[in-house]
Amino acid sequence: MNAIVRAEQFAEVANSEEGQDQYLTFLLGGEMFAIPILNIKEIIEYGYLTTVPMMPAFIRGVINLRGGVVPVVDLAVRFARKSGDVTKRTCIVIIEIKSGGEKQDVGVVVDSVSEVLEIPDSEIEPTPSFGAKIRAEFIHGMGKINGNFVIILAVNHVLSIDEMIVVNQASGTELEQLELA
Amino acid sequence: MRDTGLDQALQTFFMESRELLIAMEESLLALESAPDDTEAISAIFRAAHTIKGSGGMFGLDGIVAFTHVVENVLDRVRNGEVPVNGELIALLLCCRDHIGTLVEQLAADPDAKPDMETEANGVMLLNQLKAHSSTGQPPVAAVAPAPAKTQIVTQPPLDDGTVASDNWHISLRFARDVLRNGMDPLAFIRYLGNMGKIVHIAVLPDALPFAPDMDAESCYLGFEIDFHCDGIDKAAIEMVFEFVREDCSLRILPPHSRIEEYVELINDLPEDKIRLGELLINCGSLTKKELDEALRLQALRVESGQEAAPAETDAVSQLGDILVEQGMVQPELVDAALGKQKVAKENKVQESKLIRIQADKLDQLINLVGEIVITGAAVSLLAQRSSDSALQEATSTLSRLVEEIRDGALQLRMVQIGETFNRFNRVVRDVSKELNKDITLVIGGAETELDKSVVEKIGDPLMHLVRNSMDHGIEQTELRLQRGKPAKGTVHLNAYHESGSIVVEVGDDGGGLNRARIFAKALEKGLVTANQTLSDQEVYGLIFEAGFSTAEAVTNLSGRGVGMDVVRRNIEALRGTVEIDSREGVGTTVKIRLPLTLAIIDGFLMGVGSASYVVPLDMVMECVELSEAERYATRDSHYINLRGTVLPFIRLRDHFREQGKASRYEKIVVVQYGGQQAGLVVDELMGEFQAVIKPMGKFFSNLKGVSGSTILASGEVALVLEVSELIQRAVSLESHSISKV
Repeated sequence: MNAIVRAEQFAEVANSEEGQDQYLTFLLGGEMFAIPILNIKEIIEYGYLTTVPMMPAFIRGVINLRGGVVPVVDLAVRFARKSGDVTKRTCIVIIEIKSGGEKQDVGVVVDSVSEVLEIPDSEIEPTPSFGAKIRAEFIHGMGKINGNFVIILAVNHVLSIDEMIVVNQASGTELEQLELA
Repeated sequence: MRDTGLDQALQTFFMESRELLIAMEESLLALESAPDDTEAISAIFRAAHTIKGSGGMFGLDGIVAFTHVVENVLDRVRNGEVPVNGELIALLLCCRDHIGTLVEQLAADPDAKPDMETEANGVMLLNQLKAHSSTGQPPVAAVAPAPAKTQIVTQPPLDDGTVASDNWHISLRFARDVLRNGMDPLAFIRYLGNMGKIVHIAVLPDALPFAPDMDAESCYLGFEIDFHCDGIDKAAIEMVFEFVREDCSLRILPPHSRIEEYVELINDLPEDKIRLGELLINCGSLTKKELDEALRLQALRVESGQEAAPAETDAVSQLGDILVEQGMVQPELVDAALGKQKVAKENKVQESKLIRIQADKLDQLINLVGEIVITGAAVSLLAQRSSDSALQEATSTLSRLVEEIRDGALQLRMVQIGETFNRFNRVVRDVSKELNKDITLVIGGAETELDKSVVEKIGDPLMHLVRNSMDHGIEQTELRLQRGKPAKGTVHLNAYHESGSIVVEVGDDGGGLNRARIFAKALEKGLVTANQTLSDQEVYGLIFEAGFSTAEAVTNLSGRGVGMDVVRRNIEALRGTVEIDSREGVGTTVKIRLPLTLAIIDGFLMGVGSASYVVPLDMVMECVELSEAERYATRDSHYINLRGTVLPFIRLRDHFREQGKASRYEKIVVVQYGGQQAGLVVDELMGEFQAVIKPMGKFFSNLKGVSGSTILASGEVALVLEVSELIQRAVSLESHSISKV
């Protein structure tokens, strides 16, 4: 359908020796982030999104991915930033998450995807305790690319389903209180 | 290490064994009510026999050894040597369970040894079985294997015409394809070795071609086996090879056969006659002298030529008699053979009816079909734009077919609940024995279909409910008679479709729930306060609270107050609800209402802002327009006057915090749920829609008011509303805001 890059193409790269070292970099609010490529299933154009009511703001909604319903997370809102405007380059990156033995696909909205880069472990700096303005547990490390830093995300924490469910609950009560007010 | 091919076969074995065990259980229960049902006895025997046979093929000695004893007893039952009574059936049921345990343990880990408990249980059962397999004999004999004489119907007298050897002689020629068919010839011989002693085995490599022509996957070998064993008959030996019956030629000569038999055997076999003769000597089946005699006989027959012919026909006519007389064929063998033909036929019919498919393959297919539907819709859209009428026609035909395929594919996942219900026959039987109550199970709506995943998960909750009904619900016989009820209690299981969901009922005609006692207990546990006024429904609902039990004594079955709590949690995990309907002295019915996950529903599509929502069509009563005047009147309140009745409504736009301006002409969709009516205010009515319900997944597990999602023809996702949850939410929101003031 509207898949720009399918996972198969990635798989080729990933299987070539050290897939662990490869990261997809993308832009979010002008800042560069990276995700390990092995978690990524595919990248699709932004669109056809259905909002789900009574959910916290960082859940943009759901999309139909070849017959399956996949939740889409607005990464900017998850990082407590302002949600970016939808442009031609806005993409949804489909990521596979393992949660309690089950696999779940989750989409994340990013402003634009950049490229696949190799970042060896030696080039990854430990997470600073503050300064990134993102919750520390969301960061796996800081990758060095041409002297610049990219934030390598800890996908399982950023998209922790258990945590997000708790947030859902909390926001649900919050919503109710709002309505009461 | 097992190779994957065998591993798959092993999985099939486990699956088949489970099915056979279920069939065995059903037959055993049938036997209980009709002790002389020979069909049922045969079915039980067949099940045990097949499990033993297939188990032997995989070298699962534990199962084989145990099942073998069970089979022996069953064989005696079949022959009428052991009377069918309740005690025997109970024992056989235990044996069935034990086989089930063994199978499950091996399924979990094929190399595992049974644990101590299982082992002890097995030994205990074996001892009990022994008592049955030796009825009418002194107990001492029970320990040692029964002497040969009792088993072999007639033992031919030793005269000049017979061979001295008291061993069986087995000629085996495997077909070329036997390995390709997944059989290992060695396994059978090894299995044979378990039954007795293989005195000598000669391998016949005669059929082996020259190396360049040899196919490594073909079996070229034949075997001549001299086999010594007391206390078995020909049928038993044949059964060893039952699974390769079609892939081998098997000739069995009993001990002390006539030399003529050997002559015939030699003639029948494809190999060189003299060589064969020598082989037989090597095997120890024949002595040299006997062989000479045989060859002489043979020569004589050839010489006498035509004159011998009438004699031979005579011989043929007598063959049956002779065979029986010599213990070659035993009377029951004929029955068994006939029976086997019938079984084979039945199996064939079943095979053609059922195909086993892996569930994930099916899911994949359904997903693909979903994609086709969406792509198809896009194609039709393009076709319409092209103004090519032939193309349009073709695409419309295509989309109709695609829809049919989709329906068909979804139907594949639906299974009847009957199978699950039938399992309870055993439960009710066992529990009623244990409780010493006379209870029957009445099953209704067995043909109601629901999704396989739901069927799998509903078993445990049903088990709790049925046990509860039997333990707490149904009174002791004396009390029942006192109350003017029939002595026999009834538990019923029922299933039916109702307003887009499936209702499964577990009911009994017992004492009913005691409202006062439940309330008192709840008070004691601090679940309610004394001045609370609760409806009957709410009081009955209390029994689903954790740690709640009003039973005076904790019995083995129930009363610990864990069951009902678990029941409710399990059912809520399926997004279902539980209701209790009870009348004191008359009975209790627990209604489990389950949504149709992954089922197709006829939905009603409506638009709110940019989003679309679906409600099950059978919940929709009518649609009315919200007039300008009413709209003005309901700025603060949320109800209208619908032909004289009050209709409360929910404005979905507000409820869902939808952005944007409302349509000028809002509509109210009047929905009904659980005997109440409510309105949903929407912007647009989009009509009926056949919706394929897809679960929302773990991500949205806390989302109340949305039961699933469906994909529209445009490829967009629409949410399926759960009306009762939506209304509950509205109720709680309103009551909170009121109480705050």
